[in-house]
Amino acid sequence: MSLIEVETRRRDHFIVTQIGQLRFRRRGSDRIVAGVAGGLADTLGVSDAFVRAAFVTLSMVWGLGVLVYLALWLMALDRVEDTDPESVATHQAVGLGLAFGGSMLFLGALGWWPSNALVLTVGALSFGTAALTDRNMPGPLVALVDPSVDRPGRLRMLFGVLLLIGGLAVFSSSVGPISGIGPVVLAVALTGFGILVAFGPWVTRLARDLGTERRERIRQEERAEMAAHLHDSVLQTLALIQRSDDPARMSILARHQESELRDWLYGNAPLEGADLLSTALKASARRIEADHQVPIDVVVVGDHPLNEDTRALLGAANEAMVNAAKHSGAERISLYFEAEDNELIVYVTDQGKGFEPTDVANDRRGIAQSIKARVQRAGGEAEIESEPGEGTEVVLRMPVAAG
Amino acid sequence: MRVKVYLVDDHRLFLAGVKAELSEEFAIVGSAYDVDTAIEEIRGLEPDVVLIDVHMPDGGGIVVVESVGETNPEVKFLALSVSDQAEDVIGMIRAGARGYVTKTIEPGDLVDAVRRIDAGDAVFSPRLAGFVLDAFAGVMPTEDDPELDQLTTREKDVLRLIARGFAYKQVARKLNISIKTVETHVSSVLRKLQLSNRHELARWASKRRIV
Repeated sequence: MSLIEVETRRRDHFIVTQIGQLRFRRRGSDRIVAGVAGGLADTLGVSDAFVRAAFVTLSMVWGLGVLVYLALWLMALDRVEDTDPESVATHQAVGLGLAFGGSMLFLGALGWWPSNALVLTVGALSFGTAALTDRNMPGPLVALVDPSVDRPGRLRMLFGVLLLIGGLAVFSSSVGPISGIGPVVLAVALTGFGILVAFGPWVTRLARDLGTERRERIRQEERAEMAAHLHDSVLQTLALIQRSDDPARMSILARHQESELRDWLYGNAPLEGADLLSTALKASARRIEADHQVPIDVVVVGDHPLNEDTRALLGAANEAMVNAAKHSGAERISLYFEAEDNELIVYVTDQGKGFEPTDVANDRRGIAQSIKARVQRAGGEAEIESEPGEGTEVVLRMPVAAG
Repeated sequence: MRVKVYLVDDHRLFLAGVKAELSEEFAIVGSAYDVDTAIEEIRGLEPDVVLIDVHMPDGGGIVVVESVGETNPEVKFLALSVSDQAEDVIGMIRAGARGYVTKTIEPGDLVDAVRRIDAGDAVFSPRLAGFVLDAFAGVMPTEDDPELDQLTTREKDVLRLIARGFAYKQVARKLNISIKTVETHVSSVLRKLQLSNRHELARWASKRRIV
């Protein structure tokens, strides 16, 4: 199997897990009322600013938005959790937007809302504000002129400004005659400009402080997560080590914890479902190490996906390791795996007491036969070299297609 | 005359342990917990062998190996670390360290390793041997210096046996060669590792992570 296929399988597995987790929860942090809109945004994978705008707009239809909000709140009364936002493709986000717009139009066509002007005005204003205040974007005026902001970002800014102007226009046309738009827009623009000049510096400072505060909070959350992990793993192991008076057991505990912590720190944690031979060998070695209290040094060169044949190799390697751990009396065992272009080789080596390969009655000979049979069935071969007093080495070879 | 050994490690407990293990065999001339003190004292004391930790604040072991190497090239370094990240290990060797062992090494083996480093040989742990085989695996030699960019079959045989946990003595017996020849092969691998300028070597670690 090629590595691309492995990648694909790993991704499919990832998607399945993600869908399994697609459950609605309220947000714990970064919320305005009860975290319902934020949680919905995380679940749908859209900006929370737009979800809030949708709720506000919907509320203009006889308070429907408020009702929906309360219903979702009841649904997730005891489900508060911060989940990573789902990522959703642009076309899906556009689809969600169209669906919302369509249902609003439907409500309008049925005449189920108090006045067109009210819904249109509030809708345009809230969505315009959402487009302008979406926190993933820089300040709106900067974004319009800054070439480093990507095009969709600038388009969205323009869209936001147009919505705001449109909203004000609808509002003013519903209060007064159309001819009144000019002076009204002028008045609004002048007032806006005045406010900007008067409060601009204050607003930017406020925004900056908010940004700092948010970063600080994220840092604290990360620290809390790390503390939780260390508590569950490292501190527990340290406690176990202190209570243990067997040096061999302490050493095994420490080694086990070391490799676990290393995987966590450097992100080498094995992915379920899409296994590689190297990961599987390391996991087996770790388990046998813990079961039999003998350290196993694992060295891996290259890698290969796990399949029917390589599973046989893994099984045989397991048997050889357990065998060495139980019978050799060696202080440590070495496992060496190398993936060459057309062959996989595994060596399980110990420097223990060894045995006489020709001794028919020997119990270890029977195990040796079973290892050989297992590898041969899968098209490979096994050699077992041993001499009393000289240790034992099991060599497993498995041909693979080049590439 | 006893071999002069200097220790650098920011973990005081570990440093104390190593000191106790080595003080019977060697003259421990000093130790440091941080990079700056280490550089200054090693230049003044001129020890034969420095045992150095890879991960430390202010740049870590690499900075010490490089800085001392510029002024006192006769000081030899043995990297001793809990890290088994390929980038760190290969980085230390390329900076000039003559060997790498993990901190889980048995005390007796550590004494042997220091002696070997003092004698001018290279010390490869099974894990380092694996990394080197991995780094030189299956890539075509570059045009500038094919000799430096590839391992000979014999060198690979030696590295594989080391990776399988055999001591130099056992490697020599298995291949029917003298221990001196094994040491020559390992030193030659070390030289290639330090001098080969193929960019794959630097890039390899991150590439491997993706697989």
